[in-house]
Amino acid sequence: MTNPIDTLFNERNATRLMTHVVAGDPDLESSLDLAERMARSGADLIEIQIPFSDPLADGPTIMASNQKALDNGTRPEDCFKMIRRLRERVSVPLLVMTYANIPYRRGGKRFAGECAAAGASGVIIPDLPWDEPLPGLRDALRNRGIHFIHLVSPGMSDDRLKTVLGLASGFLYLTLRVGTTGAASGIEPRGLEFLRKVKSLTRLPVAAGFGVSAPDQVKRLKGRVEAVIIGSHLINLRRGQGVEAVESFLHLCKSSGNGRPRPE
Amino acid sequence: MNRRKHSRYFGPYGGRFVPEMLIPALSKLEEAFFHFRDDPGFKNELDRLLRTYAGRPTPLYFAENLTHESGWCRIYLKMEGLTHTGAHKINNVLGQALLAKKMGKTRLIAETGAGQHGLATAAAAARFGLECKVFMGEVDMDRQYPNVFFMRRMGAEVIPVREGTRTLKDAVNAALKYWIEHLEETHYLLGSALGPFPYPLMVRHFQSVIGREVKRQMRKLERRPPDVLVACVGGGSNSLGLFHPFLRQKSVRCVGVEAGGRGMKPGEHAVRFSPDGRPGILQGYKSTFLQDEYGQVLPTHSISAGLDYAGISPELAHLRERGRVEFVSVDDRQALEGLSLLCRTEGILPALESAHAVAYGARLARTFSRDQAMVINISGRGDKDLFITARALDGENWLEFLSRELSRDQSY
Ligand SMILES: Cc1ncc(COP(=O)(O)O)c(C=O)c1O
Repeated sequence: MTNPIDTLFNERNATRLMTHVVAGDPDLESSLDLAERMARSGADLIEIQIPFSDPLADGPTIMASNQKALDNGTRPEDCFKMIRRLRERVSVPLLVMTYANIPYRRGGKRFAGECAAAGASGVIIPDLPWDEPLPGLRDALRNRGIHFIHLVSPGMSDDRLKTVLGLASGFLYLTLRVGTTGAASGIEPRGLEFLRKVKSLTRLPVAAGFGVSAPDQVKRLKGRVEAVIIGSHLINLRRGQGVEAVESFLHLCKSSGNGRPRPE
Repeated sequence: MNRRKHSRYFGPYGGRFVPEMLIPALSKLEEAFFHFRDDPGFKNELDRLLRTYAGRPTPLYFAENLTHESGWCRIYLKMEGLTHTGAHKINNVLGQALLAKKMGKTRLIAETGAGQHGLATAAAAARFGLECKVFMGEVDMDRQYPNVFFMRRMGAEVIPVREGTRTLKDAVNAALKYWIEHLEETHYLLGSALGPFPYPLMVRHFQSVIGREVKRQMRKLERRPPDVLVACVGGGSNSLGLFHPFLRQKSVRCVGVEAGGRGMKPGEHAVRFSPDGRPGILQGYKSTFLQDEYGQVLPTHSISAGLDYAGISPELAHLRERGRVEFVSVDDRQALEGLSLLCRTEGILPALESAHAVAYGARLARTFSRDQAMVINISGRGDKDLFITARALDGENWLEFLSRELSRDQSY
């Protein structure tokens, strides 16, 4: 069976949108509803974060979301259930994002099984670089046809970058800046330069993010990447102005990103 | 250059579990550390600083009265509290600050719990002409306010951390995140033997001066190695610093003392080697962490901010599994008794962290014979704990003093 991520990126002439939802913030029903609306408003891939007490790569916005979700008593198994329900409602590829201690505690194999049962197509674990082990995880994901998504960032050595390009499947998660997640001011030249370099070295689809918070930034990335990742900004929008604001923002991005209109 | 490639692991623990974007900085740090570690010029410079600035070597003091009071083995105290800034933290700080200088960094950042590591970093930054930011949990800022004040006098910016449990763990998170955002000009001067590689190894290396001195001093004082070493364990830097040079001498028992807090319920203590302490991955390293069954890190408590932390040095986790280091715990009340005991018998005011080691050491001494020798690491001095100890041990006078102080309308 072809992984839905591969199917999505087979068609190369569109810039896709990838969004981020923290499961359990403010509660599981709301995050399920939010993710569903995102898919209907133009999100082409959705990252669902299983909350963790100490999210190392996340800035204040997503950190607060993690805290909120944990304060609600959100457990990893609840998140998998939520992803399963989302899977039944939308057709876009879903990715599980979390930190290494969550799969480490459950066991890599069990975690991969849970991802598969929930209908996830990819897994993102920012604090698990390729040269550190997490027993059972990578093999089990591969056996189940789930992509382990690798992150690449400006400043990486050429050696490490080449190794990652050799290991990666599905797509590359490229951070446009060196920093934590969160709305920064604009896309830095260093990020675009790194993007050009990566593009010259691989045919893998590239999803770029970190600090994308405006439709014209999406527009700027159009044609240069296969997907643009919008995380913290959407969380801030939802928190401040409600889900409708998220929907209209995605619609705007979609028209400026010129992605394929979705028959949802 | 021809250096042996070091494993990032201590048995199954350690590693470098960080986002890819942090790896270039960690690799550069690793390279610099291994390059300068054995460089004669660097070693001389560090030695001189340790002597002339930090006040090393620190005395190994024969605590005659405590020995008599405990009744059995000869108790020696390694007086790390007599160093400049008042704790062993300065040993590691001077090493790393010098390294940062060599790497051309212009800013030091640090996490701190008790404030001793922050204070040492602030001092070194002032001494080396570097900018300094210290991340400190809000709870810890309140309970260790004297150190907050002193750090600021030395020009450091003390940044309150309001996330999570607002203690040491969250200060480490905040410092790591700040570092990720400012890698170019910043050195993260981590204060204990934990975090992603090379920190656990590097911090232990710079702290091993404690154990090396003890070895030399014992040879002179007792003409033989100690029988047992006792040290409190927060992250593990003062304990590893004392233990490490002795690890090959199997006759030397090593005992780490964890913070028993108020009791053994989750959130009430910081005993990593207890039923809620499980292998995990946090803050860049694999070790034993206090966490729930899902892998969420548990809150901790200790009367001493420096021991109030959910994780522990990966090397110590390994040494415990190998049976080389034993662990015990001492609760808040016993630690206060340890403090009073040392004040009364020797006229020495230990930090609350070190008081845990004193409390256990005095008890353990009874299981040894009179011709045996114990070394207790007095990792710091207790001035910083005034607001905690005065309230706990002399509450009425202290609160009365505070209200008098508040109503006084003139400064001296
Ligand atoms: C005086 C003193 N002792 C001990 C500790 C605990 O740290 P470690 O276990 O790294 O020595 C601290 C930490 O702040 C401290 O200030």
